[in-house]
Amino acid sequence: MDNIAGTKSSLTWAVHISAAALVILWLLPTVGLFISSFRTADQIATSGWWKAPFPSVQNLTLRSAAPDTQREAGGLFVIEGNLFAEDAREQAPITVYGVSSRAVDAFQPGETAELRKGGTITVQANGDYRMEHSEAFTGARGQRVFVTAEIPPEFTLGNYDKMLFDPANVEGMSKAFFNTLTVTIPATIIPILIAAFAAYALAWMEFPGRVLLIALVVALLVVPLQLALIPLLKLHNSIGIGKGYIGVWLAHTGFGLPLAIYLLRNYMVGLPKDIIENARVDGASDFQIFTKIIIPLSFPALASFAILQFLWTWNDLLVAKVFLIDASGETTVMTNKIVELLGTRGGNWEILATAAFVSIGVPLLVFFAMQKYLVRGLLAGSVK
Amino acid sequence: MKHVMYASVATLALSAAAAQAEQVTVFGPWLGPDQETVEKVLAAFAAASGHDVRYVGSDSFEQQIMVDAEAGSAPNVAVYPQPGLASDMAGRGFLAPLAEGTGEWIRDNYAAGESWVNLGTYANAEGEKELFGFFYKVDVKSLVWYSPENFEDAGYEIPTTMEELKALSDQIVADGETPWCIGLGSGGATGWPATDWVEDMMLRTQPPEVYDMWVSNEMPFTDEKVLGAIEEFGAFARNDDYVAGGAGVVASTDFRDSPKGLFASPPQCYMHRQASFIPAFFPDGTEVGADADFFYFPAYAGKDLGTPVLGAGTLWAITNDSQGAQDLIKFLREPQAHEIWMELGGFLTPHKGVDSSKFADAPTAKMNEILLGATTFRFDGSDLMPGAVGTGSFWTAMVDYSGGAPAAEVAADVQASWDAAK
Repeated sequence: MDNIAGTKSSLTWAVHISAAALVILWLLPTVGLFISSFRTADQIATSGWWKAPFPSVQNLTLRSAAPDTQREAGGLFVIEGNLFAEDAREQAPITVYGVSSRAVDAFQPGETAELRKGGTITVQANGDYRMEHSEAFTGARGQRVFVTAEIPPEFTLGNYDKMLFDPANVEGMSKAFFNTLTVTIPATIIPILIAAFAAYALAWMEFPGRVLLIALVVALLVVPLQLALIPLLKLHNSIGIGKGYIGVWLAHTGFGLPLAIYLLRNYMVGLPKDIIENARVDGASDFQIFTKIIIPLSFPALASFAILQFLWTWNDLLVAKVFLIDASGETTVMTNKIVELLGTRGGNWEILATAAFVSIGVPLLVFFAMQKYLVRGLLAGSVK
Repeated sequence: MKHVMYASVATLALSAAAAQAEQVTVFGPWLGPDQETVEKVLAAFAAASGHDVRYVGSDSFEQQIMVDAEAGSAPNVAVYPQPGLASDMAGRGFLAPLAEGTGEWIRDNYAAGESWVNLGTYANAEGEKELFGFFYKVDVKSLVWYSPENFEDAGYEIPTTMEELKALSDQIVADGETPWCIGLGSGGATGWPATDWVEDMMLRTQPPEVYDMWVSNEMPFTDEKVLGAIEEFGAFARNDDYVAGGAGVVASTDFRDSPKGLFASPPQCYMHRQASFIPAFFPDGTEVGADADFFYFPAYAGKDLGTPVLGAGTLWAITNDSQGAQDLIKFLREPQAHEIWMELGGFLTPHKGVDSSKFADAPTAKMNEILLGATTFRFDGSDLMPGAVGTGSFWTAMVDYSGGAPAAEVAADVQASWDAAK
């Protein structure tokens, strides 16, 4: 009898380890995204994020100063400088270098290499170089030098800077932020309001066809919203709402209602029958029962649905694009702004990663503020 | 000087016509820097006409314009990245024909004007052919990108014929290096870079008439000539020695990442065939013309097919007719409308009246020369095919082919989907 409550199972450590493993596994993509948001596009393209925190041996293509910086000394034309400084990089110890793309590791630091166009170059381990030639160096650009060096980890705040403080974005971004709030707050409150009334009626008011109505609501849960996009927009246009906030509120309300009614009704039906019957006997009307008894008792379910609906409308792009964003460009939402930052052909992972963490902020706040209700609310209706 | 006169006279005419200022909404595929540029062009139109012009871009333009048109909330002007969709929408009555005389103007003022008119002419809802699309901003696809300094280091010459190109590829292999970077990955559109290859090969192995028959499916996809073009692509992409990383990674390499191999140290490859937009995906700080350059994807000297050029372009069409929309299309005739974008870079135009000294840089001017010097110009075939083929089965077929499936088999799949789409 080693599984009685109160005794510790000898396998606790296994439970702990597997729980930890699951947590790590689950967090892995988020951590990767987080690290990527501090890397440049080139870094993301060339190495994985898991390599980012460690120094790495890299082959770099650096360039000497242009020939117009050369000076003549004792019959020799000389160009001097530091390769890392020319490229505005941090210095790193060079292990080998080359002057042709065909042999990038031909020379040790300190050795002198012959240049193809004539002259020589000597590169030191710290990146200092000296080019010498008996004739003047020609051309518009400096000599390419291929170096192999151990580069310390590099992180940048540039992505966040571009996203939040770039003057070209900042106005649009803050406008989009407030637009998104304008969309999400009513789109969260309206469905809750309607659903609470409907749920009460479906749970506690006797009328013919009630069961059919509940079945219909459940059936509506499976209708994909994509199906309704064009007909609904047509309807909005024909009754004169067109594209705009009212349209997107209505759409979110409609798409959110089946789940809201279902969730709230299941919770309310589980409330103790005695309280409600007592209230009826005492002469309370349905409206009084609803406002004085049901609403306060249903708070966990209401809050949990509010979180779900808020998260969904905050992250929504599809409904906003169809029902809100018209060709006048007056209205936009965060998600749409982020897509715009990605550019015509996409592929800017660094922006995507950064955007994810910027737009995650508000939902996180909402979630942590209300999460105790979420857990309680999700159990709503499951136990009587 | 003549241009300036012309522009100002036309501007006067425009402002006179636009006594009634109105809001003109434009919806297009451009985002980010492209969006800023097109907004500058539209601002010039707004200043000239007095209209209030709004532009909105979307990465899912194709889907959204359809939803908007179906529901009746279309913008005034839509900018289509490819004619297939515009033709589709014209047939369903969602487009308004352009003003009379636009066709003649294009014929007279665009290089290869007739073909631009044909590309913008579709059957309307009644089945009558009308001009719906005005081409503005063109991409050249027949380009091979390379690093001039890597070529210098290795002592390679720019090939001027396809035979030389193949010989160069073989020489690079013999030198122990890899000649090509090819990547077909593009999310949901994976495979499209290969369709460009096949179209380019089609133009280099067959006369343009055959290309047209292929694109309109008068000649089945399974024809020997099409298979030949696919095999020509396979000669590059399915050759382990030719492709960086081996033929196996072609389909899984993202097209946005594949050109980076040109600039790696040591170089992973020496050449990359891609359209004129690709410098946007070169590593930061890469200077086109110095760090990277391009040459014309050459034709076979032995086949006498001239210098065919494959291209693509965006066409502007009116989805919600108004005086302002017509004024905007009229404004696109102005050299000024083209020159604004030319100066900002990344813009090619078949307009013969523009001042070519206004190109942002020498490389763009060189690209435009390739465009204007084409003996044959053909539009990206996959953009002209029905959506189910051009943006569907053709892509997947090319992924399958580069993965090792036989050409005849993948071509039969494409033809089957084409038959189903009819």
